[in-house]
Amino acid sequence: MSEEIKIGLETHLQLLTDSKLFCGCPTTGEDNPNSRVCPTCLGMPGARPRLNKRAVEMGIKVALALGCETPEEMNFSRKTYFYPDMPKNFQITQFSVPVGKNGEVTMELDGKEKTVRIKRVHIEEDPGKTKHVGGAVTSSDYVLVDYNRSGIPLCEIVTEPDLKSPEEARAFLRKLADIFEYLEVYDSSDEGTIRSDANVSTGGERAEVKNITGFKDTEKALRYEIRRQENLKKRGREVERETRAYDDSSGTTKSLRTKEEEADYGYIFEPDLTKIEIRSDWKERLGEEIPELPHEKKKRYVKEHGLSKEMAAAICSDFDLAKCFEALAKEKDTKLVGNILSGPVKKVLNYNEIRFKESELNREKLRKVVEMVESDEITERNAEMIIRDIAVEDKDPEKVKEEKGFGKVTGDKLEGTVEEVVKANKEAVKDYKQGKDEALNHLVGQIMKKSGGNADPQDARKLLMERIEE
Amino acid sequence: MSAREFIRSEVDHEKFKEELEAGTEKLRELDLIRSLGYETNDGKLNGLPFALKDAICSKDDPTYAGSKILEGYKPPFDSTVARRIKEKGGAIFAKTHQDEFGFGTASITCAFGTPKNPWDEERCCGGSSGGAAGLTAALDLPHISLGESTGGSISEPAAFSGVVGLTPTYGVVSRYGLINFANSLDKIGPMARNVGDVALGLEVISGKDKKDQTTVESEGNYTEVLNKDISGMKIGLPKQYFDIAEEGVSEAVMEAVDVMEDLGAEVKKVELEMTEAALPTYYIIAPSEASTNLAKYCGMRYGMEEEPEGDFRKYFSKIRGEGFGEEAKRRVMLGTYTRMAGYRDKYYLKALKVRRKIINDFKKAFKEVDVLAAPTAPMVAPKIKEVKKMDPVELYKLDKLTAPVNLAGMPQLNVPCGFHNDMPVGLHLLGDHFDEKKILKAGHSYEKKRGELDYPEV
Repeated sequence: MSEEIKIGLETHLQLLTDSKLFCGCPTTGEDNPNSRVCPTCLGMPGARPRLNKRAVEMGIKVALALGCETPEEMNFSRKTYFYPDMPKNFQITQFSVPVGKNGEVTMELDGKEKTVRIKRVHIEEDPGKTKHVGGAVTSSDYVLVDYNRSGIPLCEIVTEPDLKSPEEARAFLRKLADIFEYLEVYDSSDEGTIRSDANVSTGGERAEVKNITGFKDTEKALRYEIRRQENLKKRGREVERETRAYDDSSGTTKSLRTKEEEADYGYIFEPDLTKIEIRSDWKERLGEEIPELPHEKKKRYVKEHGLSKEMAAAICSDFDLAKCFEALAKEKDTKLVGNILSGPVKKVLNYNEIRFKESELNREKLRKVVEMVESDEITERNAEMIIRDIAVEDKDPEKVKEEKGFGKVTGDKLEGTVEEVVKANKEAVKDYKQGKDEALNHLVGQIMKKSGGNADPQDARKLLMERIEE
Repeated sequence: MSAREFIRSEVDHEKFKEELEAGTEKLRELDLIRSLGYETNDGKLNGLPFALKDAICSKDDPTYAGSKILEGYKPPFDSTVARRIKEKGGAIFAKTHQDEFGFGTASITCAFGTPKNPWDEERCCGGSSGGAAGLTAALDLPHISLGESTGGSISEPAAFSGVVGLTPTYGVVSRYGLINFANSLDKIGPMARNVGDVALGLEVISGKDKKDQTTVESEGNYTEVLNKDISGMKIGLPKQYFDIAEEGVSEAVMEAVDVMEDLGAEVKKVELEMTEAALPTYYIIAPSEASTNLAKYCGMRYGMEEEPEGDFRKYFSKIRGEGFGEEAKRRVMLGTYTRMAGYRDKYYLKALKVRRKIINDFKKAFKEVDVLAAPTAPMVAPKIKEVKKMDPVELYKLDKLTAPVNLAGMPQLNVPCGFHNDMPVGLHLLGDHFDEKKILKAGHSYEKKRGELDYPEV
């Protein structure tokens, strides 16, 4: 991929408030279309917004956590454009004075630190949802509109074009979601609530790609768009300044409008809302509520608990997993807890594409697993098998251990197995003695097989070497 | 608070209904009311009847804001003022005609009829609360009309129709349930045949409302200032206003000022240097906001509706093309232009700065005087035929004396003060922010001295 790739993201995350940004309607609950609505979030003539203070506080916390400058006084504006999912045909958002400006996010990618500058953070209302029936956007028979989402608070994060690849963009979004989750202002379990527009340039003009949902699709959409732009250049054609839409069913981007057709939003101040003063004592109080953030936690885990950077990163990227780690590390061997949580637990969560809090895992169950390993009842390999089972089904780890017949082979029993294997594989033993290291691996493999996977490979290797050296 | 004290007679509901029914045909003929209803409710107000401007929502009552695009709309909720009227025992009995969304100074842009002036049916009632003012001039029964002013839409029709109209300080009355014209300027206010009734009306509808964040705590007790002495009150006469008004109008106003001087007020001349800047400023800010407010009317969700054809843009354009009147379209275009990228700084943002200067201009004057007295409108009610021939800018000029104080968000009271060419002239009393009591006191003193007005038989 080209050196000149520049990607800037405008990412929207739903803020986890109980009620909507400008009315008292609940943000979750009843799923029937248009059941969580009122005159305000339906934009009925005469209805007015009243600002949800919790949403503002969450916005301020996000701004502070991203190292942004916050204004002493901020306001809301009207952004006017016509679309059926917008009840008022204007969106109440922040324009001239947003809640945060000039921040940054530092993340780690392939062991290297990377800083992405944050241009602005602002709070706005979510539109409703349209559902095209009988076809795609342009070919559908009719469209249904559901305003349950209308008015849910969003926090928009706008980056400078500092991202250099689709992978970086995805990692950035993950990092952003982690920070939001740590602040407890965002529900990370629904990837659908992270939506981005991306500005992409590969050296020439930039194109804006709209409507990308989730982490994976961001990477996919960007990969497609970069390829499209590079193919144009290969054919000697210019990339046009335009707005494109990402179509998740085909994984492609399609032109929506060119620069000349660009919407003019005609921003004016929202006259129904008064200016919001961000007093320094309020800001301080909110600042104090910001917990230790993922990168700070990670550093501490390395320093205090002696975890490797990779292990610490794996645990810290899931707030609830980190909370579990901290609780267990107080009672048990920190290294062992770290190994299990960053290894098998993280692996099974990633495999199932769930967060710790969505899994059936909890502190008590993992404590039992750690205890079984600590007391040599099972191997770490056994532990992984057990965790795979108990992560997706509510099961007792000890019962799973019994069901699977797990029980660590140690002591005399293991020595006996080693003896058997040495006797049965004289050739391999000879090879090893002559310096062929891989022969040892073969022998360890035989021991593992004979013990039904219940031996600890490290223990087996040690015993085996002692036996051969004799 | 007792309604009896200020409403000319205790409301006899049977009689009210009977007489209203008998007079309804005439009221309709004059195009003053768009719909009628009457449900009395016991309470402190003893069923005191209220007529609402068509832009003020009341639950399940047709509310169209004078626009065809809202035809058929019955709001599923009460505006805060309607709720307060009902809770305090008042009764809502009519929706009055108005300019479409408030866009006018003569009520000729109403989609459902042009109100005719009860003093002379060839003349207009003023606007945009023309139906409200005309109804009060025509209906010889105890009642209060609620109007709404963005740039003078209470005072000017009150002056043209010879009734009392109070526009409160911005924020004193909740706008929840008012169909927006320009939110930073819109104010609901009472209109009646005498100052006592508007003071009572303000008591009923004012007060902080959590559904409108721009509201403030009300002082309440507006009726307490009635019958109070005004000796020593300093009244300022803004030179520029008298220069703008026709001579006959200025003369009638000066006679009223003389009366107040006789009552002990001290009169002095003041300068309001920003007067000329107000109209252009108003006609930038108001359409900028209005054009965004009108975006929601698109044939979905409420009001006018048709079988959709083509994509949503086509459908929205069709509905908006058919549903909005000419003046509404003009203001949408004007307001869209003044807030466009590239022009926003030059017009919209600059107008906001000038508005600040206009406020300071008034603040300076109110350091010297308690209230200002001036003509409400530059002329008396013009003939409807003539108004229809006027170009938009000429029509906008009818707001020239009311636009500044409306931009400043300061309270204003129109009190009828004599006649010019057999048509009523309005005395305009302007106060500093939250000085409703001062202008009510001055207005009531003058009114008492002036004596009862002889309203035309309708």
